[in-house]
Amino acid sequence: MLLVHCPVCGAEGDETDFHGGGQAHIRRPATHNPAEVSDEAQRDYLFIRHNPRGLHFERWRCDRGCGKWFHAARDTVTMEFKAFYGITELPPRELMEAATGEWATYFKDKLKADAKS
Amino acid sequence: MSDLYVETPLVHREAPQGLSIELREITDRGMIDLRGSANDKKFMVAVKKVLGLDLPKAPRTSVSWGDVKALWLSIDQWLILCSRAKAVELTAALKAELGSIHSLVVDVSDMRAVLRLEGEGVREVLLKGSSLDLLSDDYAPGTVRRMRYAEIAALLHVVEDSVFDIYVFRSYADYAWEFLLATARAPAKVSLFGAQNAAI
Repeated sequence: MLLVHCPVCGAEGDETDFHGGGQAHIRRPATHNPAEVSDEAQRDYLFIRHNPRGLHFERWRCDRGCGKWFHAARDTVTMEFKAFYGITELPPRELMEAATGEWATYFKDKLKADAKS
Repeated sequence: MSDLYVETPLVHREAPQGLSIELREITDRGMIDLRGSANDKKFMVAVKKVLGLDLPKAPRTSVSWGDVKALWLSIDQWLILCSRAKAVELTAALKAELGSIHSLVVDVSDMRAVLRLEGEGVREVLLKGSSLDLLSDDYAPGTVRRMRYAEIAALLHVVEDSVFDIYVFRSYADYAWEFLLATARAPAKVSLFGAQNAAI
């Protein structure tokens, strides 16, 4: 049983009080470029998901509490939650740096932008 | 023309006999669903003008003023409790006062069934259907929490130390009632030493 913490209302509870919403930080291509969305981009958006061994970023909902969505960073090997953060936020910097594989690629630009500002 | 009348979800149920706690349905409760931004000063002022209370901003708390209570449901949602007779009038007053402020007011008096549990050992009875630590200090009188109770969505309101209100959606009223009849039969308080209460 996973113990989840909601960053919005501070509720702490079992996995059953929450609802896992799959991979986090998915961008809908049509939102940003409705005129030219390739079939591949649309396919990736709908169906293609990361399946990393280790650090993973997910969406969760405080289902039986305040009803809000939030993000969580979880280790898929140890099942340990590394961080909980807001639905509009990026993960803590050290976790973005620790990310590997597809996540490292995804966070590379964000880290650069973060370093500039 | 047929006349409209109110029928509560558990109107056909008889008062239970031989339970370890008292269990009944509260039939005269009016409920208003109120949504808006707690950071919007205009919204908070308008609500205070009608209800006479400051909406609670802290998670899982409630505030009362006279016979009106405001329960915190989410960072932007509250459940206003009043008498059933007053709900329509209060909803209209809130709508009028809020006007064009970004908000939502709906009379949801018939949306949920309200179960009142009363007596020594109420917390232990509720523990049979919940994974929350109801014996901890987090659940002092006034606490409100949406929870998973007996696998369904419920709203828990700690009225007094051993008086609890459970709100379940209307279609689950019979299920929740049956679940409570079964689990409230035997007292469930566990003592550290000596003989325990007989199980069901």
